[in-house]
Amino acid sequence: MGLGLRWYHFFLWAGFIVIMALMPEFVSKGTLRTIIFANFLAIFAISWDVLSGRTGYISFGHPFLIGIGAYTTAILTKRFDVPVEYAIPTAVIMTMVGGTIMFLPALRIKGSYFALVSLAFMELIYQLVQVIRPDLTGGTRGMSGIVTLTRGAVNGYYLSVTLMIIVALCMWLLMRTRLGTALSAIGMNEESVKGSGLSPTKLKLFAFMTSAFVAGLGGAFYVHYLGSIAPRALFDINFVFTIIVATLIGGASTIVGPMFGAFFLTFLLEYLRPYLPGAERYLIYGAIALLLYMYQPKGLYHIVMSQLDRFKKRADDD
Amino acid sequence: MLEIIIQGVLLSGLYALIAVGFTLIFSVGRVLNLAYGSYIMVAGYIYFYFSQLLGLPPIAGLLLAGILGSCMGLIKYNLIVKPLKGDHIAVEISTLILAVVLQSAVILCFGNSAKILLPIIPGVMHIGNATVTFNVLVATIASWLILIGLYLFIKKTHVGRAMMAVSMDAKGASISGVDIDKINMITWGISGFLGAIAGVFFASYTQLSPTMWVAPLIIAIAIVIVGGIGSIIGTLMVAHIIGFMEIISVALISPQLRGVFTMLLIILVLVIRPKGLFGREEL
Amino acid sequence: MTKPLSIKNLVKKFGGLTATDDISFDLNEGQSTGLIGPNGAGKTTIFSQIMGDYRQTSGKIELYGSEISKLSTPARIRLGVSRTYQVPRPFAEFTVLENVRVGLMPDSIWKMITESPNVDREIELALSVGFSENDLRRTPDELSMGDLRKLEMARTMATNPSIMLLDEVFAGLTVGEIDQIAKLIQKMRSENMTFLIVSHDLKALEPLVDDAIAINYGKIIAQGSFASVISDNAVRTSYLGT
Repeated sequence: MGLGLRWYHFFLWAGFIVIMALMPEFVSKGTLRTIIFANFLAIFAISWDVLSGRTGYISFGHPFLIGIGAYTTAILTKRFDVPVEYAIPTAVIMTMVGGTIMFLPALRIKGSYFALVSLAFMELIYQLVQVIRPDLTGGTRGMSGIVTLTRGAVNGYYLSVTLMIIVALCMWLLMRTRLGTALSAIGMNEESVKGSGLSPTKLKLFAFMTSAFVAGLGGAFYVHYLGSIAPRALFDINFVFTIIVATLIGGASTIVGPMFGAFFLTFLLEYLRPYLPGAERYLIYGAIALLLYMYQPKGLYHIVMSQLDRFKKRADDD
Repeated sequence: MLEIIIQGVLLSGLYALIAVGFTLIFSVGRVLNLAYGSYIMVAGYIYFYFSQLLGLPPIAGLLLAGILGSCMGLIKYNLIVKPLKGDHIAVEISTLILAVVLQSAVILCFGNSAKILLPIIPGVMHIGNATVTFNVLVATIASWLILIGLYLFIKKTHVGRAMMAVSMDAKGASISGVDIDKINMITWGISGFLGAIAGVFFASYTQLSPTMWVAPLIIAIAIVIVGGIGSIIGTLMVAHIIGFMEIISVALISPQLRGVFTMLLIILVLVIRPKGLFGREEL
Repeated sequence: MTKPLSIKNLVKKFGGLTATDDISFDLNEGQSTGLIGPNGAGKTTIFSQIMGDYRQTSGKIELYGSEISKLSTPARIRLGVSRTYQVPRPFAEFTVLENVRVGLMPDSIWKMITESPNVDREIELALSVGFSENDLRRTPDELSMGDLRKLEMARTMATNPSIMLLDEVFAGLTVGEIDQIAKLIQKMRSENMTFLIVSHDLKALEPLVDDAIAINYGKIIAQGSFASVISDNAVRTSYLGT
């Protein structure tokens, strides 16, 4: 598969897994709950990164995909008493199918169309969800009292962290194959990809469906962690913003970047909360995100990597 | 029936104004300004502040908002778009971040709750059995006047024609001696002005809230995708198609399905004719 | 035996401008034809229509006997045709090797995931066009125009074509570099590769082609052996201007 794995990859991943596994020993329940949120944000950010970080087809409507997964499993379990083991896979499939139907026309054309359409559709779905069959979807207020899979912070933590690590590892490995190379190539020069004998539409579709898969999975599990769903929080531009900024700060197209970006952002938000409750926090970290993005669009991952490269070069020279 | 036609015309005029400011940036600058909605929102609040809180006459408030919109456009262009050198992905993302930052700033200054703008011109009139507020009527008439003015500006003046040239072929235009940077600045300034004026009207049509920038942006997006880029007249026509579609679906089918037909129309256009109904080329 | 390439009555209009004006010619297997003409004559436009960068206004293009007008560019490449671009368009953030890697990839997602890159072949291709070992990990912003042209060549070869359309592949190269590419082309000719080569450098072009086609204003003005074409009066006038 040509993954180019080195010893330090194993070492880093193993170390990371061990740290995350032992986390409940070191931190309070409150911090655990924050980390749970960070885990889910990481899943969403990774989902975004697989598509938008690589191919440059910026999705401003990821909550749309997350929402399909969330609503499907919520409706199935709460209204129709479908067991969770069936509801969640169904939700994931619905996300992939529904997302593809909506976005395929835009995906076939240029990146800017896709960006616009994704934004438009998210807003429109937000309207729709409140009015179509509110008996099923819970309308404007959403739903509560949904089956939760775990009880308590520690169990919730383990579920979320296991999910996050599986997703991250799988996506990281997938993107290290030639598929990842091809997707990045699309982001650089789609015409040249055609000229190299590859069909971009097929590749984009695959990336999109993978992204939808992860988004639906994350959305479904998230609903079963929270036990409720609220359209106003879900289909909010601030949520789009959070996902995108987490990915960018961490470093787009690296999978690992978005993961750490999600943690960084979540803890930053938590830290700012006592000083700036409410929407003002977005002002500060939006401004920081903008400055950082314009200065170094490749994110923290790139900053760290280039420092490491410098050490390597110096070591080679000595 | 008459009610539908009147409401349709009124709404479409406003939609056209909103869309043209957005399309202009695309056409000429080839970038997506996702913070376009912010002109609308900020302008609404500026008008609110000056005309309602400070008590200035509506015209003054309107003009101030317009000028501020222009300034915002110029600042955005110089600080964000120019340094990014046309990397359209970066501009998309940066303008979105900016839009959220501006939203938060507005919440910080004015609070989270929605506000009702007093009508610019109070009073109503009756046409047949339709009730039309002077407010909306004036907004529509003003929109048309501005659009006609813009159309003449583009066709008749030197600067306007330069803008057209850049929108068709930037490299060719610059070889012919057009100062691309200056034209871009002018375009962003005009776009900001249009967005701001549209914003005040839009705010008086609905209500003022920090999240109000999203809906007009979506409308502008829909009009751009369905109509394509390349002509103001095309944008005008599609604005009417979408405006009427909304009014009809609200009146005859269900108020809540307002956005669905727009969505379906977008998908249809992308599948059948991606250039847009009146477009010269793809985005 | 079906001809690799057969163009019949090709016409391309851009609005009021006729860029390709009823052009017809064939290429036999293993044949190498030079395509010459002044700037703006329409040579690149012909390439673009063959590759499917845009659709011709009318006329037929056949690859190995099949009409390809409805096929996408990647599909045509799979049939065996590949081209270099006059303005190189490499992948800006990839190294030379990674650039070649994209060209070597099969158009199958399953294979992309399960099979590793063939680094030996990547290196082989890159070296064959004249890159040195040091260059292999460089990115396009660190390469000269000549190097970028070489990269175009390597990427085109990577798709394993049987027909190669070369568009000004010598421009900006040193004499030594031209020599290396020329040797490579001769080697491929001996392996029966079919070529259609556009070049202003007639001296470099001559040994590489069996015959030539001269184009001006979208029309063929001369066709035949290289020597007869370049001594043709109409051709000389087109280059020097009337």
